[in-house]
Formats: sequence, C-alpha cells, structure tokens
Amino acid sequence: MDIQIKNLTKTYNNRKILAIDGFHIPSKSFLGIIGPNGAGKSTLVKIIAGLDTPSTGCILYNHEGLNQRINRNMTMVFQKPYLLRTTVYNNIAYPLKLRNINKEEIHTRVQKIIGEMGIAGLQHQKAWTLSGGEGQKVALARALIFNPSLLILDEATANIDPSSIYAMEDAIKCYYENNHATIIMVTHNIKQAKRLCNTVAFMNGGVIEESGTSDEVIYNPTKEATKTFIKEAFL
Amino acid sequence: MREIYEGIIKSIELLLSLDGEIYRIILLSLYVSLTSTLISALIAIPVGIVMGIKKFPFKQGMIRVLYTFMGLPPVIVGLVVYLFIRRSGPLGNLELIFTSAAMIIAQTLLVTPIITGLVYNGTKEGGEKIKNLAKTLGANKTQTMILLIKELRISIFAAMVSGYGRAVSEVGAVMIVGGNIRHHTRVMTTTIAMNHSMGQTDMAIAIGIVLLILSFIVNSLLYRFQQGE
Repeated sequence: MDIQIKNLTKTYNNRKILAIDGFHIPSKSFLGIIGPNGAGKSTLVKIIAGLDTPSTGCILYNHEGLNQRINRNMTMVFQKPYLLRTTVYNNIAYPLKLRNINKEEIHTRVQKIIGEMGIAGLQHQKAWTLSGGEGQKVALARALIFNPSLLILDEATANIDPSSIYAMEDAIKCYYENNHATIIMVTHNIKQAKRLCNTVAFMNGGVIEESGTSDEVIYNPTKEATKTFIKEAFL
Repeated sequence: MREIYEGIIKSIELLLSLDGEIYRIILLSLYVSLTSTLISALIAIPVGIVMGIKKFPFKQGMIRVLYTFMGLPPVIVGLVVYLFIRRSGPLGNLELIFTSAAMIIAQTLLVTPIITGLVYNGTKEGGEKIKNLAKTLGANKTQTMILLIKELRISIFAAMVSGYGRAVSEVGAVMIVGGNIRHHTRVMTTTIAMNHSMGQTDMAIAIGIVLLILSFIVNSLLYRFQQGE
C-alpha cells in the first residue's frame, strides 16, 4: 500500500506534537521509524492506522482517503496488545470471522500460521494465561492471518525476551518477503531497524528530521540530532 | 430471635404449602424485576458503552447527572411515574396505573441509570483498547459493538446483577404505581411492608426469607453465566 502524508499536524492542548509537511512511503517498502521518546512516532502511526485524527492535513492510501475497504486491508500491532478473553485459536481466527470466511478455511489458515510462528502448542490455551512474548506472537499471528497490505508495528517487540524477538522478526521478515506488503515499524532498537528495514526515518520533536535507506540514516546521518540519537543508541 | 426462627419455619411452610397466592406474588415479583432489568439492560448497555468510548460535548455534565440518577430515591421515581400515568395524567388514557406494566416502567427508570453507570465505568477502563483492536482488525461499527459487549461481559453482568438487586428489593415505587392490589400487583416487597404494618411479623420475615432465597438463586445463575468462559 502506498502512503502519502500531506501537511499533517496534531495539536494537543495547544501544543503541536506532530508537524509533517510531506512524506511518502512507497508501496512494498519496509520503513523503520526511530527517534527519542515523545518524538511523535506513535502518534504518527496511530493516525496512519486511523486510530487518531490529525488536527490538519491528510493521509492518502493508494491515492484515496481512509475508508472501510482500506481499513480492512491494514492492521497494527501494539507494544501491549489486547488479547480477546478467549483461546489463542479464537484470537487468531477473529479477523477471518469478521470477514465471513468459512470454518474450514479459518482452521486451515490458523493451523498454518501458528505452525509457522511456533505457537501451535498454545492454541487451546486461554489468552490471559500467556507470557508477554507468547501474547505478542499471538497478536502478530492475528495481524498477519488476513494478509494485510499495510502492517504497522508500534514497538511490537519491546519488553519481550530475545528468543521471542528473533522469532517475531523472522515471521515479519518472512511475511514481507512473501507478501510484498508495506510495513511501518516504530522501534527504539537501531539494530533491529538495521536488520529488518530497507528505509528508516528519524523523528524528533514531531517532525521527520531525516529519512533514507537504513544504511544512509544509521551509518551516515547528516543531521546533528540523528547523529546524537544513533551514537547514544549504539553505546 | 423467636420471631426470626418462626419466620424461617413459616417461610418453609409457605413454600411447601403450594398456596396459589404466595406463588403468584413470587412469580409477579420475578416477572416485574427481571423484565425491568432486561429492558434497562437493552437501553443501558449500548448507552454505557458509547459513553465510555466516545467523546462528545457535555459528556462530563451528563456523567454527573448519570451518577446522580444512580441514587434516585424509589419513592420519587414512583411519584413521577404516578403523576404521568394516573387517570388525569398526560398518559392516563393508557390505563397503566395499578398494573404490573406501571411497576415495570418505574423499576426500569430506577435500574437504567445503575446499569448505564456501571457499564460506563467498565468501558472507560478497557473499552478504548478493545475498540482500537477491532478497528485495526477491520471490524465495522456493528462488529465493534458486538466485540465490546463480548469483552466487557463481566462488567456488564455485574451491572445487571446490581440492577436486578435494586429492582427486586425496591418497594417505594412499586407501592405507589402498583398499589399493592391483592391478586393483581402485590409483590414480595409490598407484601413484606403490608404484613409488617399489620403486625404480622412472622409472615413478613417468611416472605423476606423467600425474597432472599430467590435473589440468591437468580444471582447465582447470573454469576455462573458470567464465570462460564
């Protein structure tokens, strides 16, 4: 999915927390958004996901505004995902049920994705009994099962153990390579951005200070704020 | 103590006596309270959820009014309903006064704010996350509302149990609009009040115990339903 951000601002209590004149996320790109806390990263992705409204400006998805068809074709995984009060299987099957897909097809697709993500053993477990890493994998499986064209990850691998992080990264990478979806990933982990993303945008104070290929932004930043942030991240 | 003991014995005798009048009183109490709770739930659940997840003008003021209405004195509600439905009132032609329908209306007015307020509080806590999840997974408005009800079912059942408790134990409003007419609008609470005023304490205690047992059974069923996940 092609994303175009035009003159986007967001103001809370008379304080401008987001101001992006223009930014283009081409279809099939894997964009990493990095930056310090309070840079406006989460606000930006929430607006892209349609969970928040901009104060001014707009976002175009494949050259059109947000509608139910576009909304059904994108998803977002949060740092602390909400899991439905039911089994792991039902959690993952839920987006397919919303799309009126028949039971056999749902069963096949759920079995496939839980097998790929290594959580087949958890399928009958109640969601509230899962560990943080397991819950995050379930949330990712639930997001990927309906093959969204736009996947937004808001620090989806923060606060989980390294083995779960690598398992999730593999699943995300595999999904990207097989489906050519557009992925936007907010992360504090520069190394993770380097491992997964082909483009990186550095945000600071509500603006996109710098963007380019991950090598350009991470190894040859031009802005002083980017240099400082990356230097501190690598320390 | 002797009166309470006699009341317990009397309540067992009453239940075993298969006296038609007693069973009519019990059934009418259940019918009025459960119907009003159900009608209230149908109104209050969506309203409470929408209030919990939506931002709209005068929301804070509305919440204050809602909290005030949660503690409405039953006699006030009974009086207001009476003024509307009495023969010379604006709704007098509907001939609702001293009927079970009037009692249901009064109890619905009492219970609706309670369920709305409790559902609103439950939604305020977790509703935003559920709404966001539904949206990110492609749910439309109806599917989002269904998901919210499913996920908030514990808060919703707790609210309904509280609402039912209020309805079944209420006496002031049903006395005013129902009139405590024998074989017609007499319910357990009005029977207790009447027997007490007539000095028949053992009978009042007996009906009170039956009321408690029935409350326990209905609440146990609701609790079992709530836990059945």
